This record gives sequence, structure tokens and C-alpha cells, in this order.
Amino acid sequence: MIAWLQSGFSTRRSRHGLWAVPLVIVVVLTAVLSFGTDQFATRENLFNLVSQAMPLLIAAIGQLFVIVVGGLDLSIGSVISFSTAILSLDGPAALLIPAVFVLAGLVGLINGLVITRLNVHPIIATLAMQYILLGITRILRPVSGGEIPGIVIASVQGSFLGLPLPMLWGLFAVGLAAKILYGSRFGLHMFAIGGGVAVGMEDAARNYGIRVDRNIVLAYVACALFAALAGVFLAGRIVSGDPNVGLLFELDAITAVAIGGTQLSGGVGSLHGTVLGAIIMVLLANGMNLANVSPFVQTAIKGGLLLAIVGLQSRKKMGL
Amino acid sequence: MFDGEPACLVEMQSISKAFGATRVLKGVTLRLRSGSVHALMGENGAGKSTLMKILAGVHRGDEGRILMNGKPLHLPSPREALAAGISTVFQEMSLLPNLTIAENMFLGREPRMLGGGLDRRRMRAETKKALAELDLKLDADQLVSTLTIAERQFVEIAHGIKAEASVLILDEPTAALNAADVEVLNRSIRRLRAEGKAIVYISHRMDEIFDICDEVTVLKDGQHVATKAISEVTPNSLIAMMVGRELADLFPARAATLAEPVLQLTGFRAGLNARPFDLTLRKGEILGLAGLEGQGQQRIMRSLIGRFPLANGTLRLNGHELKFPRASNGIRVMARLGLAFVPEDRKEEGLMLGLSVATNLVIGLHAEKPAFTRARGLRSVVQRMMDALQVRAASTTIPVGALSGGNQQKVLLGRYLARDVQILVIEEPTRGVDIGAKSEIYGLLRDFANAGGAILVTSRETVELIGLCDRLAVVHDNTVVIEMPAADATEHNILSAALTSDGVAA
Repeated sequence: MIAWLQSGFSTRRSRHGLWAVPLVIVVVLTAVLSFGTDQFATRENLFNLVSQAMPLLIAAIGQLFVIVVGGLDLSIGSVISFSTAILSLDGPAALLIPAVFVLAGLVGLINGLVITRLNVHPIIATLAMQYILLGITRILRPVSGGEIPGIVIASVQGSFLGLPLPMLWGLFAVGLAAKILYGSRFGLHMFAIGGGVAVGMEDAARNYGIRVDRNIVLAYVACALFAALAGVFLAGRIVSGDPNVGLLFELDAITAVAIGGTQLSGGVGSLHGTVLGAIIMVLLANGMNLANVSPFVQTAIKGGLLLAIVGLQSRKKMGL
Repeated sequence: MFDGEPACLVEMQSISKAFGATRVLKGVTLRLRSGSVHALMGENGAGKSTLMKILAGVHRGDEGRILMNGKPLHLPSPREALAAGISTVFQEMSLLPNLTIAENMFLGREPRMLGGGLDRRRMRAETKKALAELDLKLDADQLVSTLTIAERQFVEIAHGIKAEASVLILDEPTAALNAADVEVLNRSIRRLRAEGKAIVYISHRMDEIFDICDEVTVLKDGQHVATKAISEVTPNSLIAMMVGRELADLFPARAATLAEPVLQLTGFRAGLNARPFDLTLRKGEILGLAGLEGQGQQRIMRSLIGRFPLANGTLRLNGHELKFPRASNGIRVMARLGLAFVPEDRKEEGLMLGLSVATNLVIGLHAEKPAFTRARGLRSVVQRMMDALQVRAASTTIPVGALSGGNQQKVLLGRYLARDVQILVIEEPTRGVDIGAKSEIYGLLRDFANAGGAILVTSRETVELIGLCDRLAVVHDNTVVIEMPAADATEHNILSAALTSDGVAA
């Protein structure tokens, strides 16, 4: 246990990255907020926090996949807005909900194919997709509005067996991601591909007989699907389709992953770190709101934290 | 050596391969038999690695075909080669540092449980078994990034030795191993041979070839030279086949006369606790720092460019006393005074592998000028160096990383020769360079000295120092313990001088 905790401070002994640092931050933040304010440790506030954290957490998990293979996905903000827009169209829920995931999967597929087949840098490929999809979303729904299927709204509000429903969303997303990342060949291959890229051995994974391109494409598909899941959750919470709801979400998701100790050069990172990263982002925002800190200062602090954590990582090769 | 004629398992027929305009393989044929270890020899750049990469599915041949048990084999990627039972231990480290030993061992062919998930328990158990067969006591769950180079090499070998593989390619498996480790490896190879596997063994170490191999195929410049039973060849005849000449012809003639001193060290100490010594380098001379590895040869060399700030003593260049340079600008200051330093590791410290041959050649000239002067192409300089050094490259605009090791080394030398330097301080002038290019580099260095330059050189290969230098200074414990004319030096007397030095120098 202690050795495991220690490995969370080293990127050499563990490929989970520097996850113990965000753990310490979460513990400290929670303690400060619990003792420093009256409003933090209330049932209402905590319920609210979980609900706030969920879309970020789910999107960050998707982002983790592509970061592990040594990529980056800037298009998920648009995927999220796009998903809420689709759900707000007229039509039966049984059609709209599957459509969201099919279309998001398609977006991920295109991202992956552009990156692997056309050899476009991930940042450029997904940035382009971000614009394209933003345009389409605004055509579908220029301003916020429309109606979201009732089942979606019901699924994010209220509780089940004493657990808030958003918590169940989170458990589902984390459980699914854990199964993929740690329990499947796809997961291991993602780490292998990213690890090779990070140390300049791009061909290594291929030489082991891994289908590198196919796995990279799958990672982008998975990322887009998680983003769509985050979009469905958000649609249920804001109860309308909104072309701007996903704005800058991709950057928050990348920040959460990075604060969680995952290396942006690929191959080193963890799910629990990403969960912690998302929690930190939400705790900071919540705590500073309770302390009446201006939102502008909050943004600056977020940036400072990102810089501090990434700076702590020792990397041989420059990633991002 | 072999009883009867074992069946031919794999046959590579008239394989040709070109990278761009460079033809790397020209109609090479190779037959591998079951239960036989086949040595593949040739200089660096002869095409051995490319031939094996074609068999491993990494590269695709342009012409020719591969037969396995008489049936044609199509190998578009490593996946298909692995599926056909062809397993490779690559020369370059290919283990992924962020995965555990067990994960690396099973990468690409992971065992799965009923539900489709990874069977980590089986991976761990089988890894343990494979490591034990190589006498390795390592934890299967250890990350590869925590292993030493030799351990990694062994894990790489363990990875390549798969029960289901029928062909095993070992591309310089012993590069990072010591003699005891090599013996462990040889035991495994003999066992695999007895199991009837066909093994390809690439190595530059002669003793290993004669120890373990049954047959040998020699390649030269991408062409098949000969395939012989190992009992029919000797080390000398093998080298002759590889280079087309004998070992002794590699080195140019020594300097006839020596002129005045250009570099003088007096009372020089390579560190606070090192014993002081004097050393003089004369015009027209090649002076070698010999001795056991890591005894301070590199430290003395690098003190001259200020890499070790605690070095002290008197430094004279052409009779003028200088202050010892500082680390921050030592290379610049000394270069301005006509002393150029050529680092040991051309890939890490020397060349900019992604930049063109031309840029790498003239970067030294640009570095002398103020930052905002116009960076001219200096095409005439580039052409002059390409001709003088006989660099073999398709063009001067291709990345220097695409050249063979020997040609890279020539480009690195050219960078310093292009400037008007007087003294070259060179570490390992021919590291990772094939025999033909070695000989050419020796010639270039000697020409430089004959034209009035002076060279201070160090090398791990004592034979190279003896052949190349005029004079040797044997270094032990950060000090020069004895000097000797290279003509009289032997590996034996250098070693004994180094080892008995404590009594002599005190």
C-alpha cells in the first residue's frame, strides 16, 4: 500500500503518472473547505458538486484515452454541444439517443482516420473538427432551446438506492473505462503505442504485431463516445440544446487529465489520477465560489495549477 | 559440425530492396535450416539488418520471395511474420519502458480470459518461467524503465524466444552483455538449436560466431559474398570476405617527422585528487590516450573544453599560456583558438540527425559568426567536404540521420575539418562504424595530421589506437602513467602498464 502510494510520486516506477500529487491536493482542499466554510460539507452542496463534476469527469476520461496513445482531442467541446443539439431536436428518444452516439462515433472515426491516414497532427485534425462541428451545431440550433427527452432529464436528477443519479453515471463511466484501460488488450496496446511515441520508438508497438493505426482510431472513437455521454448528461441538466454549452470543455478536460498526473507525451497516466484531476477542478471552483473569489481569478489559478503539476513531471522528451 | 543436411526451413530468394535511390540489397539469397545457427556477417551497412527486417515483416522487399517449407510466404507487416513463427530480437532496444516485463513479453499476443479480458495471471506465470530459463531473477511486474541495459537485453531475448516460433532472429543480442551473460545466452541458443529451431545470429564478435554458429553467410554492399560451414572459415578469412582485405591494411602509415609542440599540459590535474602529469602534443602527430575504460581518458579530453571545472595546471597553445576554459563557452573559445572537440556520441552530442547533411557540415562555420549575419548555404564548402571525405549520400539535402554510421561519422568530422582548425580532440572516432569506413576515417585523420594538424584521440578499441596513433599515453586513475611509441605498443603492454601503474607512478 505504502509502496503503491510512493509510486504515485514517481513516473519511473509506475506508468500511472504522478497521481499521488493530485491526491494530496484533493485531501488538502477537502479539509480546508470542510473546516473553513459552513456551506461546503452540506448534503445539498455535495450533491451539486457531483452533478457539476460529472460531465467534466466523463469528458476527461475520453480525453485520457487519446492522451495515452500520444494524441490530443480538441473537438470534444463541439461534440458535447452537438450532442445536446441533437437531443433537443423533435423526435422520439429511442431514435435521438442512439443517434447521438452513432454520430459521435463517426466524428471520432473521422478524427482518427485523418490523423492516421492523412498524417495530420492530432491538434490540427481535431481543431478543424471542432470548427466544423461547431458550425453544424449552430445550424441545427443557433441559440439555446428545444426540448430534451424526459428520460434523459430524469436520469440526471434525483437518486437511486440513496445514491445521487449523477454518481451512478460517474461509476458507470469509470467502471467502463477501467475495464478498457486495464483489463483489455486494447487498453494495453494504447499504453504500448503511447509509450513508444513518448520515447521516440514509434515503430516499437508495430514491431510487436500491434495494429497501431486501428488502435489509435479506436481511441479517438472512444474519446468522442465519452464526450457524447458527457453531452447527454449536460443536456439532461440544462434541459435544452445549447450550441455553446461545450465551449472550452476540451481545454478543461485536458487540464483535468494533466492535473491528474498523466503525461501529455503519452504512455503514462491513470484513470484514478484523471478522476482526482476532475475533482480538483470542481473543488477549486466550488471553494472559490464559496469564498467569493472572482471567476477571472479562478481561471488564472487553474492555469497556474496546470503549469505547476506538469512542471513537476520529469520527462525525457518534450511532449506538450 | 552438422549431422547430415538438416531440412531447409526458410529460403529467402534473390531479395532486393532500395530505400529511395540507395540500393541496400541486391538479389540476396539466404537458406535457413532447422536445428542450425546461421551467422550473418558483414560491415555495418552491408544489408544484414535490412535483410532480417524483411524476414521479420518490418520492411517489404522490392524483389524476390520468401519460402517457408517450400511454400511462398507473404509478410506485409510484423504481425504476419510473428504468425508464421518468425520471432526477432532486434538490435535496437524495442522494449517499451512504460510497460512491465510481463506486458512486454506478451505484447501483441496477450492471453485472454473467457470474458475477453487480459489474463494477467498467466502472463505473469509464463514470464517468470521464461526469465528463469535465462537465469534472471526479475519481478515480472517491474516496469522496464527500471531495468539496467543488460537486463533489458535479456528481457528482449526472453521475449524473442517463443516456444511456438520456428525461426529466431538475433540481431546483435550480445552488444550490452558481459562474458558471463553471453555464456547464459549461448546455453539457451544451443537448447533452441537442439529443439530444431532455425536461428539467425548477427554479431560483430568473432569468438561468439565461432563458439555458437554452424554456418555463416557474408554480405558485402548488399550482395551475397559466400555461405560456408563455420569449420571452413577462420576469423581472418571472414574479415577478408567482409572487407575484401586483411586487418593490417586498415591503418595508414605513421608520421615521418614531428614538428614543434602545439598543445602542452604541465602539472595538469584532471580533478582535485588526481595526480599531476605533463603531456605534449606536436604538430603532425596523432596522440592516443589509452588504458582501461573509464580511467579518466574522457575526463582529460573534456577538461580541454572546460567540461570539468576542477581541472587545473598550465595549458599552452602554440607556446602561449591560456586560462582553462569554462564549461559555458569552452567549446566556442577553444574553437576560436583552433582546437575542435568531436564528441563520442554522434547521435546524442554530435549531429543534428533531422537536419540535412549540408547543414550539419557548415553549422560550425555559422556558429562562429554573430547571430544575425546571413546564413549562406556555403555550397562550395559543402561540396569540397563531401568530396574530400567521400561521404556517400544520395544528396546533400537529405537528413544526416538517413546515412550509414560511417558516413554520419564522416559528416561529423567534416564539420570540424571545414573550419580551419589546428588541433582535433576526438573521442571514439569510429564508434559504430563498419570496417571499410573505419579505414577511410583513419586515412582522413592521418591526412589532417600530415597537413600540419595535431590530433588527440581516445578509443575503447586499443587495437585502433595502436594502429592509428604515433604515440600513446596510458591513462590510469585520471593521470598519465606512461607514454610509449605506438609502434612498440601491444594490447598486452598497455594493459600491464595500466595495471601496474600504482607502483610506477608513485
